Amino acid sequence: MEEKYKVQVTDLHKSYDGVHEVIKGASLDVAPSEVVCIIGPSGSGKSTFLRCINKLEDFQDGHIYLDGVDLADPKVDINKMREKIGMVFQHFNLFPNMTVLENITLAPVELGKEDKETAIKEAHKYLQMVNMDDKADVKPTTLSGGQQQRVAIARALAMKPDVMLFDEPTSALDPEMVGDVLNVMKKLAQEGMTMIVVTHEMGFAKQVADKVAFFYGGVIKELGTPEEIFDHPQEEETKNFLNKVLNI
Amino acid sequence: MHLKKLRKLLLLPVSLLIAALFLTAPKAQAASKKTYIIGTDQTFKPFEIQDKDGTYNGKNPGIDIEILREIAKHENFKYELKIMSFNADVQALQSGQIDGMIAGMSVTEERKKTIDFSNSYYTDGVCLAVAKDSKITSMKDLKGKTVNVKTGTTSAIYAKSIQKKYGFKLKYYTNSNTSWADVKAGNADACFDDGPSLRYGIANGTGLRIVGKQVSNAPLAFAVKKGENQELLKMFNDGLAWLKKTGRLKKIVNKYTSKKAVKSQVVADTSILGLIKDNAGALLQGLWMTIELSIVGILAALVFGLILGIMGIAEHKFWHGLANVIIYIFRGIPMMVLAFFIYIGMPTLLGHKLPLFTAGILTLMLDEGAYIGAIVRGGFESVDVGQWEAARSLGLPYYKALWKVVAPQGFKLMIPSLVNQFIITLKDTSILSAIGVMDLTQTGANLIAQNFQGFKMWLIIAVIYLIIITLLTWLSNYIQKKMQH
Ligand SMILES: Nc1ncnc2c1ncn2[C@@H]1O[C@H](COP(=O)(O)OP(=O)(O)O)[C@@H](O)[C@H]1O
Ligand SMILES: NC(=O)CC[C@H](N)C(=O)O
Repeated sequence: MEEKYKVQVTDLHKSYDGVHEVIKGASLDVAPSEVVCIIGPSGSGKSTFLRCINKLEDFQDGHIYLDGVDLADPKVDINKMREKIGMVFQHFNLFPNMTVLENITLAPVELGKEDKETAIKEAHKYLQMVNMDDKADVKPTTLSGGQQQRVAIARALAMKPDVMLFDEPTSALDPEMVGDVLNVMKKLAQEGMTMIVVTHEMGFAKQVADKVAFFYGGVIKELGTPEEIFDHPQEEETKNFLNKVLNI
Repeated sequence: MHLKKLRKLLLLPVSLLIAALFLTAPKAQAASKKTYIIGTDQTFKPFEIQDKDGTYNGKNPGIDIEILREIAKHENFKYELKIMSFNADVQALQSGQIDGMIAGMSVTEERKKTIDFSNSYYTDGVCLAVAKDSKITSMKDLKGKTVNVKTGTTSAIYAKSIQKKYGFKLKYYTNSNTSWADVKAGNADACFDDGPSLRYGIANGTGLRIVGKQVSNAPLAFAVKKGENQELLKMFNDGLAWLKKTGRLKKIVNKYTSKKAVKSQVVADTSILGLIKDNAGALLQGLWMTIELSIVGILAALVFGLILGIMGIAEHKFWHGLANVIIYIFRGIPMMVLAFFIYIGMPTLLGHKLPLFTAGILTLMLDEGAYIGAIVRGGFESVDVGQWEAARSLGLPYYKALWKVVAPQGFKLMIPSLVNQFIITLKDTSILSAIGVMDLTQTGANLIAQNFQGFKMWLIIAVIYLIIITLLTWLSNYIQKKMQH
């Protein structure tokens, strides 16, 4: 483990059924404030890889270090680690039984990070940042997909994480909503958040990513700057994939 | 860590249960006189003749009850009657749930192994009876016929012993009146029962006829569990000796068996309205018991079910297995068997009596609780896994995620099933009548044993159940609507 990385994944192996490996030895280093976009064909293991990073999925082999702490170590309190890793899901997963504001204050208050008053103040701050402060008191179900996703981002940010994981955050959105969410993510990137983003938005990857990882068959087949991956792909599979997605 | 928390959670109902068992233990008998619980039959004329309201409080309660009354007064002890089917009485006696029993009970060698009998106050035996217009004139005509007997009685034992020889089918009943009514209605061809009882019934219009002679005569006596309540047995014997010496016993017996014997109370008004009016008090009392059982039962079941449900989705798989086994067991055991096990079986284990109500609530808690456990677990499970993932990804520990995020959504999904289970619980309380709980159903059975108005009485009872369940359904719909807003 080298101290200069925020997140370091080394030789990760994961199978769901104990027989077929879905992740077959993937490694990735992410420096502080770096934005890494993960692209690749569906079923190649991108989501699984991302979900391993906050241990929503267990993995069989390899190491995942966050600030030098190994998540594979059974002595590590995973709840404490998760507090430092924000996650945004494809389907938002807001809590429908709470208002927007309660969605955001729940974790900081329950985990004793902040008292209720501070949490509410902070929540409004994050809601302003994602441009959703006027909806603080409504139930999430009354919001559009794009609005819900922005609230979900605010909810993750409220824990003041060191790293943000995005799992296809715009795939479930109507096209006209995608821009709002991507803009929020861009803003975050500019503010120096370390981000790992699984995405199909090639434009976003090109524009915002420091590094692009091309996932294929459970491994990172090719890794490089956006220019390297999009303009001068080396691997046959990368070329095929980009041909397919960029030509539609 | 979570294991510990869950263990704490589990400790609650377990300790409640234990507390319930011990709190209900017989309170240290104060200096005051002990009240003996004496079991007796639901109806067994002329030994037990119920009043219009299904009790034995009237002037002509039958030979057994009058004997007991006089002896208790003379020997200066207090007693409380427990009215159950003969078979339930015998089991309750053997398990120590009742102190003594008087129910036209025959002294047999087999029973003497587990029961101590008093001196005898009467002698009777088994007779065969058929409908008045039946063609059956001897046992030989019973081939292929259906013959009714009362479970656990000497008639049943006798019938069984000759069943092969005469080739009839046996049908079991829990009380004589229904057995007889069945023969009269033509559902069965004949019945075996005690001779004096059949003869008294015939004199009071059962529409049966006795075939042949009385067989297997045996003395009738008061009974206690072998080796127990010997002071009660002695008082009974002393009192009986006094009754015999003073001629009072003969008087009591004659009152019911001589030519001018008292008739059983005739029900004056047998219209539905008349029956309701006459029995309003008893019916209301039964209804109240049903409601009490349902409410306390569902509350206990909710607590138990909630714990099972939480175990069923606990972080550690061990608890899933345990919850599954518990749910499997209690859903698999018929509720009546569970009720008997708790009421009749547990006292042997505990070494003291378990009050009827407690036994009923325990039964409901375990049986309905198992179903509620499955509902709760199902409700939790049907919450989108994305909710779990979102909560956990924020750093919430498993049980916080469950309690704050998943459970509130799960409960909402469960409400319709829980309401449904409450209605089922209310109906299921009727099963507890088997162990003698005086609920609406048992009240009905007792009243009918006395007034023979089976059709009308069951109709009344059924309508009462329907009314409460309708009210309950309305109420729950109203609450559900409220909750949605
Ligand atoms: N919960 C699961 N159980 C079993 N197999 C899964 C599960 N989730 C994903 N998979 C399988 O793992 C492989 C990788 O899936 P995923 O990580 O979702 O790929 P991607 O995100 O690249 O589309 C696929 O073959 C998928 O079917
Ligand atoms: N109550 C009864 O039915 C008693 C029946 C019979 N005398 C017996 O002892 O088995």
